[in-house]
Amino acid sequence: MSTESEPPRYRVEPHARFRVMGDEGVFVLQEAGEVLVVNAVGAFIVEQLQAERSVEEIVIAVTDRYAVDQDRAQADARSLLDALLGAGAIRQA
Amino acid sequence: MSELSIEFAGARYRFAGLNPAQDGLVRARFRALLCRDDAKPDVRIDIHFDPNSPAFMRRPSGPVEYPLAVVPGDESIAVAGAGFTANIDRSPFRAQMQTCLSDDWFVAAFENLFRIIACHRLFNEGALVMHSAAFTDGARGFLFCGRSGAGKTTLCGLADALDLEILSDELNAIRPRGGSFELLAMPFAGDFGGEPRRHPPYPLTGLLGLRQGGETSLSVCSKAEAVSRIVASCPYLNADPQLVDELASRVERLVQRHELRILAFTKDTRFWKVLDNEYRERATAVSR
Repeated sequence: MSTESEPPRYRVEPHARFRVMGDEGVFVLQEAGEVLVVNAVGAFIVEQLQAERSVEEIVIAVTDRYAVDQDRAQADARSLLDALLGAGAIRQA
Repeated sequence: MSELSIEFAGARYRFAGLNPAQDGLVRARFRALLCRDDAKPDVRIDIHFDPNSPAFMRRPSGPVEYPLAVVPGDESIAVAGAGFTANIDRSPFRAQMQTCLSDDWFVAAFENLFRIIACHRLFNEGALVMHSAAFTDGARGFLFCGRSGAGKTTLCGLADALDLEILSDELNAIRPRGGSFELLAMPFAGDFGGEPRRHPPYPLTGLLGLRQGGETSLSVCSKAEAVSRIVASCPYLNADPQLVDELASRVERLVQRHELRILAFTKDTRFWKVLDNEYRERATAVSR
């Protein structure tokens, strides 16, 4: 039996509708009637969440796609995920 | 018990079951929009007066924000406010109101319910209803979307000083018409404006968001920001799980065809020179 804990995964809340528009993404938080806009990197991260990737996998995908170092990608991803959690757009799986 | 019909934006709403006091209050409020009852209504609203039921939310005492609960369900939308409850059936589209009110509070309850019904009815017909200010110079329609505090009423006050005709500082609708959009006045006003009036549809010339302060100017925003601003401005529909996807798609189509621009303005009338020049030039450029 593995003693390692699973890396955290997040899911878009069922009431939150997400769509990509151009380079950006729009969340409609239906329960609150609120709307959020995320930038291109944020839209990419949310698409990775929708593909059920873990935070670790998302960080690797961001470093590959945007040619940033892992620390920067991790900090940006953490910051975005915290903001989306706070807004009620995603939840921990 | 009596009936009356109110018509605006191409739809007839028939209210049935009003007692004499309620009938008089509604007729006084919506005088300019009353129409004959001889045609089949597009929406029927049945009102049931029950003065003694303990089930209604009590009137708040003192000057408070009017509380209203709207709960979308699969087949109907439940609404409750001080002194009334209501159900709006999705299909066939109709409503029932139960109330213990027949004084001035009834008008507030009636308007609150009518506002929700009208938003859904217009959406069902392809329109978008937005928290917005709108005015016209007689030929061109300008709509400024934004929630409470965005500056809608301030802008209407400034536009009124320029003799521009205010449609509403609270709710307005836009509807596709041919290859463009038309602006429809709704008979609901916030802090600005009094008794509802009849307005023809106006061609939607300017679709704008508001930013108070800074130099008076117009700027562009991304399509995503435009969708965000407009969806956030669409009351009731943006919180309805059955409608929110269609709403976002419809708004996306709108901003593909009609650019949303941001008006930064200060508390003076310079904004109109900026708008007038900009949209005159754009209209000229398009017509060439």
